[in-house]
Amino acid sequence: MAEPAVNTDIIREKLAAVKGSRFKTWLQICAHCGYCADSCFFYLAHDKDPKYMPAYKVMKTLGRLYEKKGKVSRTELEEMASIAYGDCTACRRCTLYCPFGIDIAVMMAAVRGILCTQGLAPENLMTAVQSYYDFGNQMSVTTEDFVDTCNWMVEETEEEVPGLKIPIDQPGADLMYTINAREAKFYPQDIAEAAIIFHAAGESWTFPSMGWDDTNLAMFAGEMKCAARNVKMVYDAAKKLGAKRIGVSE
Amino acid sequence: MYEFVTGPLAWVSFGIFLVGMTVKTVSVIRLALKKDKVVFNHFSLGWSLRSIFHWLVPFGSRSMREKPFFTAVTFIFHTCLLVTPVFLLSHNILWDERWDISWWSLSERLADYMTVLFIAAAIVMIFRRLVSPEVRIVTSASDYLLLAVVMAPFVTGYFAYHQWLRYDTMLIIHILCGEIMLIVIPFTKLSHMVLFFLTRAHIGSEMGNRRGAATW
Repeated sequence: MAEPAVNTDIIREKLAAVKGSRFKTWLQICAHCGYCADSCFFYLAHDKDPKYMPAYKVMKTLGRLYEKKGKVSRTELEEMASIAYGDCTACRRCTLYCPFGIDIAVMMAAVRGILCTQGLAPENLMTAVQSYYDFGNQMSVTTEDFVDTCNWMVEETEEEVPGLKIPIDQPGADLMYTINAREAKFYPQDIAEAAIIFHAAGESWTFPSMGWDDTNLAMFAGEMKCAARNVKMVYDAAKKLGAKRIGVSE
Repeated sequence: MYEFVTGPLAWVSFGIFLVGMTVKTVSVIRLALKKDKVVFNHFSLGWSLRSIFHWLVPFGSRSMREKPFFTAVTFIFHTCLLVTPVFLLSHNILWDERWDISWWSLSERLADYMTVLFIAAAIVMIFRRLVSPEVRIVTSASDYLLLAVVMAPFVTGYFAYHQWLRYDTMLIIHILCGEIMLIVIPFTKLSHMVLFFLTRAHIGSEMGNRRGAATW
C-alpha cells in the first residue's frame, strides 16, 4: 500500500501563519539550558529519559519542520504526531520553568494544528471534531435527545424535589449553564444534581438548546477552526439569551 | 594595529551591537503588533515587572530553587560577564582618555577574582552540557561556539593583565575578541540580553493577567 501523500504546501502555509514575533523569538533565544526538563511529568515518569524533555520535543517537531521548510516525509510526520499527541499534554508547566518564559505548549499546539491537516490527529479526537460540526457537541447528541434527557430528569426528581425545572432557552436568565456532553449522554443524573442545587439556591438559570457542550476536544486535536467555532457557539447562545454569566460544569 | 582595533573597529563593533540590538528589539515589537495580537490583549506592566524581577533575583523562581548549584553558577556567570568589563579600571581609563567619560571602577584584585570566577563558571557550564543527558540532548555545536565567543575576551584579558606571553599581541587579540562578541550578540541567542525582558514581560502578563498565575 502506498503511503498517503504529504501536502507540503499546506504545511508551509501553516508554518508561515504561526511564525510571528513570539515563535521567532522563542526559537532563537532558547539557551538550551535544560531547566524545562524537570517540569515535565513525561520526563520524570520515564526515569528522566532526555527524549521527553520539553525543549527537545519542540526541536524534534516544530524545529525540524522549520529546518526542512515543511518538506518532511510521512514517516517523519508520524514520529512528530507521536510526540505532539503522545508525549505532551500541552499543560504549560515547562513555560513556568523556563527562564525566558518560552511557551512550549503553544508551539506544540501549532504542531498539532499542522499534523491535523495531514490526517494525523488521533482518530477519536477527529470523530469528536466531526460531531461538533454535525451536532454542536462532541457526542452526537441531537437537540431533541438533549431536551428529552432534561425532561426525563425533571420527571425522575419530581418526588424528591417537587417543582424543579430544567429551563431550556429561557431568555433573560442570569446564568447560562453548560456541561460536558458526556453528562447528557451517559450521566444524566449529573444534570439533575446541578438542577437541584440551582433550584435550592433560587438561581435564575437556563440551558441553551444549542451550545450547551463546554468541552473543546477540537482544541486538543489542533483543529483550531472547529475549536473557535465551539467557543463562539457557547458565547453566541449566551448573548442571544441575554445571560449575564456562563456556568461551566466540572 | 592597536590604533585600528581601538579606533575604527571599535566604532564598527559598538555600532553593530547598538544598532543591531535596537533594530532587533523594534522589529520584534512591530512584528508582534502585526501578527501576535494575543500579546497585547492581556498585557500588564505590573505582572511583567514582577515576572522579570523574580527571574533576575537569584533563587527567585521555583525552577531555580530546584537546581541550586546550576542557578548559582549561572548567576556568577552573568554577573561577572556584565559587571567586570563595564567597571574594569583599565577599560575606564581608556574611556577617560578618549572621551573624558569616567565612572566607578572595581579594584584590580576584585576584577581579577571575578575573571577567574567567570572562567570557572563557564567551564562548569561546558562540562554540564557534556555530562547532563537532558542538556546534552538539546546542545548543538553553536552552544559551545557561543560559550567560546563569550569566554575569549576574559581568557585573553586575563593573559594580557598578567602580561603572560607577548603583551602587545595579547592585548590586540583581547580587544578583537571583545569586538567579535559585541558583533555576534544581535544575530544569535546572545540577544537574550535584551529579548529576555520582552519574553518575560509577555509570559508574565499572559499567565498573570489572564489567569492570575505566577510564572516563578
